[in-house]
Amino acid sequence: MTTNAPENPVVEYAAAPVPRLDWARLAPDVFKAMVRLDAAAGRGLDPALRELVKIRASQLNRCAFCLDMHTRDALAAGESVERIVQLSAWEEARHFYTEKELAALELTEAVTVLTDGFVPDEVYERAAKHFEEAELAQLIAAITVINAWNRFGVTCRRVPGTPRPGQRP
Amino acid sequence: MTARTTHLDAEVRSAMLALSAAAKRDLGDPALAELVQIRASQLNRCAFCLDMHLEIARKQGVSDRRLDLVAVWEEAGDVFDERERAALALTEAVTVLTDGFVPDEVYERAAKHFEEDRLARLIALITVINSWNRLMVSRRIPPGSSRW
Repeated sequence: MTTNAPENPVVEYAAAPVPRLDWARLAPDVFKAMVRLDAAAGRGLDPALRELVKIRASQLNRCAFCLDMHTRDALAAGESVERIVQLSAWEEARHFYTEKELAALELTEAVTVLTDGFVPDEVYERAAKHFEEAELAQLIAAITVINAWNRFGVTCRRVPGTPRPGQRP
Repeated sequence: MTARTTHLDAEVRSAMLALSAAAKRDLGDPALAELVQIRASQLNRCAFCLDMHLEIARKQGVSDRRLDLVAVWEEAGDVFDERERAALALTEAVTVLTDGFVPDEVYERAAKHFEEDRLARLIALITVINSWNRLMVSRRIPPGSSRW
């Protein structure tokens, strides 16, 4: 087969969004307090589970910056590509996750889309079955904190670096 | 209603309080801060936070009329000034984040009324009340409760 296409065609990507506000520089004490809160909310939680929670919340809140960061972090920590790819369809890919992870993902969604209507009893109770009380409180805190980072990221329009096809994180 | 946990890690609570204090620092306009926190708590339907911030606003002397109408601020004529309206529009957009980003016109309207450093604090305040709302609704902490 012959083709005139060059070996490495130059692909033109759309322009990157323009960041709105460098909030961490403008309010460094707020940024520091967020970092402290983030560290506090992670204590006692399984790090792999926490990354899944962060990715799922960032998908729902559509925070490109957080999604980029936590997908890379999860991969670097040894998470499988398949479990990350299936995360936005976890209800149809339950066999990729443990029952405990599924309960945490369900709680993540309920706490993230809060304006859609509280946190249903069945969702809370399923999580409470898999997490003992202190751990459950930390899970709720972790979901809350990624929601906070997502709000800063989207509102201030923080922009992730641009990957290219075939580029490994 | 089923009882839920009242547990909250001591360091998480302390870090949240520090974050709240940082967000309000240099924001100025305490009445505006309360209006923003009331509106976010209405949208997130957080009884605990709504009750608390209504009480604080009343103590600050914010009129009943303004507190009654903040849920419908867009239709409330001159009960809220342009700066307050810009802040409330931003509050709504940042709070209902899953409904679709924060529109340029909403952001720019706020940027017109708030200097950059104040705007950063305002965004922080909206984010922090959203965090409290999540912590309280998830654990179903009743209004007025001293155990949170």
